[in-house]
Amino acid sequence: MIDFSILVNYFPYYIEGFLNTILASVLALIGSFVLGSILAVFRITGVKPLQWIGTAYVEFVRNIPLLLIVFFFWYALPTFGMRLDGFQAGTVGLTIYTAAFIAEAIRAGILSVPKGQMEAARSSGMTYVQAMLHVVLPQAIKLVIPPLSNQFINLIKNSSVLTVVAGLDLMYFADKVNGDSYATVSAYVFAGLFYLVLTLPMSYGSHVLERRLAKSS
Amino acid sequence: MITFHEVNKFYGNFQVLTGINLHVKPGEVVVVLGPSGSGKSTMLRCINRLEETSSGQLTVNGVRVDDRKTDLNKLRRNIGMVFQHFNLYPHKKVIDNITLAPIKALGVSKSEAHQTAMHYLEKVGIADKAQSYPSQLSGGQQQRVAIARGLAMKPQIMLFDEPTSALDPEMVGEVLDVMKTLAREGMTMVVVTHEMGFAREVADRVVFMDQGKIIEEAPPEQFFSAPREERAQLFLSRLLNH
Repeated sequence: MIDFSILVNYFPYYIEGFLNTILASVLALIGSFVLGSILAVFRITGVKPLQWIGTAYVEFVRNIPLLLIVFFFWYALPTFGMRLDGFQAGTVGLTIYTAAFIAEAIRAGILSVPKGQMEAARSSGMTYVQAMLHVVLPQAIKLVIPPLSNQFINLIKNSSVLTVVAGLDLMYFADKVNGDSYATVSAYVFAGLFYLVLTLPMSYGSHVLERRLAKSS
Repeated sequence: MITFHEVNKFYGNFQVLTGINLHVKPGEVVVVLGPSGSGKSTMLRCINRLEETSSGQLTVNGVRVDDRKTDLNKLRRNIGMVFQHFNLYPHKKVIDNITLAPIKALGVSKSEAHQTAMHYLEKVGIADKAQSYPSQLSGGQQQRVAIARGLAMKPQIMLFDEPTSALDPEMVGEVLDVMKTLAREGMTMVVVTHEMGFAREVADRVVFMDQGKIIEEAPPEQFFSAPREERAQLFLSRLLNH
């Protein structure tokens, strides 16, 4: 049923897709982490306009399908005079989408650090930023790692959305292999294996990190 | 040194503090008593603006705490605070708990901060725990670290918010002893507590609060032997006769 000659014959396709999936994931990971952190801070500062922006972003983006967001950057942006290729539209959409979830994970982590920690730090004359940096965030990171690594694994899997906008990712090339060879099952099974090569180490790594951090507290 | 003048505080429509007038002189130890929910902790937390007042004037060392323009961080460097639940930083060693604020907020050098920290750790009797993490310490030891942490900023005022309420009974003594020493050395202290023995022995003045108001203010001998107000009498009889 599974024909290994497919993997051998189309190896360059798989590798190109694999590398593009990695590139899209890494870009989106960095982008969504930065954007998500900013949004999380917006939501907890207590400054009303910032809080509003953060909440609106998270609630809006989180509650529409990823596919729709990617379609927006693919189909709608050109009408505003901006043209992105499939890879760019897909990666930007992925970043925008994932940032909402990362913002929530980080916010929850910060909020679950007891309030007394911030109070103790502030009452000893440290600024808000100092207290955040030296007291609250180091404790929040431990709590945030499991949900964050979940989000990153989701992100890698979600990058398959690039296929629908011809984003040259792994799934896109699996489609191509299928169209070319008609070996549907094999074509997609090998794509699945390539995804596992990315996601399994991440999953394992986060467990190890989690355990190590649990020990140090 | 600390002056409340007609201070009110609201949470929405609910009035937590009503017409608070209080003056704490330098070197004075004021113990605040009263039933739970009477506003004692809230009043204490107004002094370093962990809580905002709604109206009235509150001055510390001649600086208006309730003024938005006041440099809060500068004000707070001069006011140490000890919390009911210690609030030590669990991810930092005892020594780093104590040196953090002096290094970050005062800009003291690491070695100087270390020296000061060790000095105060010795003073509270647990210099040998400097390299431990808070979770490895008993409650009483943690609270003594918290006191050392407050003192390391060399403040003129120390605030204590029910410092022994979360402790096992056999550890209360060690914390109160440290506080007594401080009081004897002339530290200006405002202490919210349920420790009547401490109030009687150490306080220069007892302030009794109920429902957000200061009901009675008296020297401890007078307050404990002959409280004027009925509410205070009731409070004391319940505490002493259980």
